[in-house]
Amino acid sequence: MTARPPFLLLAYSLKRMRTLLLIMGVLLCAFQILMVAVARSVERSGLFQQLGALIPPFARELLGPSIAMFMSFAGIACLGYFHVAVMGALVGLSIAVATVPASEVETGFMDLILSRPLARHWIVTRSIVAAVLSIALVLGLMMLGTWIGLAILAPSGAARPSLHLIGSLALNLGLLMLSWSAVALAIASVVRRRSVAGASAGLLALTAFLLDYLGRLWQPAESLAKLSPFRYFSPFDLIVGGQLPLKNVAVLLGITAAGFLAAYVWFSRRDISH
Amino acid sequence: MPDAAAVSIRGLTKQYGKLIAVNNLHLDVAPGEILGFLGLNGAGKTTTIRILLDLLRPTGGTALIFGYDCQREGLHARSNIGYLPAEMGIYSDLTGLEVLDLLAGLSGRPVDRNRRRELQDRLGLPDGDLRRTLREYSTGMKRKLGLIQAFQADPLLLLLDEPTEGLDPLMQEAFYTLIAETKRRGATVFMSSHVLSEVDRICDRVALLRKGELVLLRSVEEIRRLASRRVRVHLAEDGLAPPALPPGAQIIDTAPRRWTLQVEGFLGPLLETLRAFPVKDLEVVEPKLEDVVMQYYREDRS
Repeated sequence: MTARPPFLLLAYSLKRMRTLLLIMGVLLCAFQILMVAVARSVERSGLFQQLGALIPPFARELLGPSIAMFMSFAGIACLGYFHVAVMGALVGLSIAVATVPASEVETGFMDLILSRPLARHWIVTRSIVAAVLSIALVLGLMMLGTWIGLAILAPSGAARPSLHLIGSLALNLGLLMLSWSAVALAIASVVRRRSVAGASAGLLALTAFLLDYLGRLWQPAESLAKLSPFRYFSPFDLIVGGQLPLKNVAVLLGITAAGFLAAYVWFSRRDISH
Repeated sequence: MPDAAAVSIRGLTKQYGKLIAVNNLHLDVAPGEILGFLGLNGAGKTTTIRILLDLLRPTGGTALIFGYDCQREGLHARSNIGYLPAEMGIYSDLTGLEVLDLLAGLSGRPVDRNRRRELQDRLGLPDGDLRRTLREYSTGMKRKLGLIQAFQADPLLLLLDEPTEGLDPLMQEAFYTLIAETKRRGATVFMSSHVLSEVDRICDRVALLRKGELVLLRSVEEIRRLASRRVRVHLAEDGLAPPALPPGAQIIDTAPRRWTLQVEGFLGPLLETLRAFPVKDLEVVEPKLEDVVMQYYREDRS
């Protein structure tokens, strides 16, 4: 068999998702430009210093590190990479892209695909490549938005976020998204309904997020919070000048690899019935 | 293509927990044959077709297509198949043309545009319709699209699940012609259907499943011969009592100047018996496949 049919399937999948991906990418790109504009405004008014002085230490601890990020131009300019709403949307997008196989089983389209001489592993491979490309596109547009914003709007005296910082944030966020793609794809490889796959992966993501949040606030929950993939997304360490921990990269890649492997195994063994 | 049977099924079993969907099925379909795969809903027809396509994994037994194991050598087995599912599961945001191009590309075999156009013309699905998205398609149009995608690469084996469901009578005729041509070019058709008249008309053999088990496998001709004929005897006089009938014949209805009989085997002994009566006319109704199959269906229900 030639390699053409798998690529055709990938092209078809990307074509179906293109509107969602482009709208989301453009929205996040625009959001990043706006964040730079907001950071410039706050920087010019000298509010960073005043705000910092107003927040007591215990409140900073309670509200989490994200509140401290508001205290700098770079923090606000990079806010999109760790804002809860943006993270939620991106994880949701990863889950939506990865659960396509369940949707194809549910509609019966999988019957038509697999009645052709196409090996089952191509279905999973197609989904993995689609997930990687989708994540790269959306994060690429976010980075583009940050770059445009900084190039046009950043005040001359402001401490701009470095390219390395933006790249590290995007990489860490991308790995987090990929790990959720893998979890969602593994679930989608065994269920018949996309809604079941999406809801299961979404609930898992929410639980993991809350677990991580709890672990950051409450010492006894910290060991349990290590089970959450969100624990290995550390934007605040990066913003204060740290390097992207190798452990974070390794754990997120490990979750991703395990999820994709499970998807290959489960999908190759399952009955396709809708 | 190898000389092997187009479809060869040996001891095929599919079990879902305690439910046995297909039970120890043995079946061969010769190249160039048209097999009607019959059975009530839930008899195991679609399950068998899905095992042939390796969509379902059997609990036991084997299924081969042109000598290739459908599970272990699935890519070879599916390399020359046209499949029409009972329901076309296609995303409604695609156009008909996109669906045909995608499925043609996935089949890995070249599709002759002229052949596709010929199918479009015959099934009444012009280019204008193919440019529309599927959300604008009626059930019949989707069925036509399904038939075009199944036939467009001229496969050697067609697996058709309820092919005429949703087609109007004219399109059913077009489909029957298409099947006849498919047989002439040597391709094999394995089709499930609930329309017994169409099976009677286009199939060479019939396989009938009941609760997952094969209960009948014969040629349509043999089945017709098996069936008892109806004979209507029109009499010239009123009030005659029916005579004692020879073995194989029995009376099923009487009217003042008419007896309706059911006869198995030759008519000779019956004609001998009737010589003593004022017979005005004899009407022999040819047996239909439907008569036999319906009998099996009724037994299934009971």
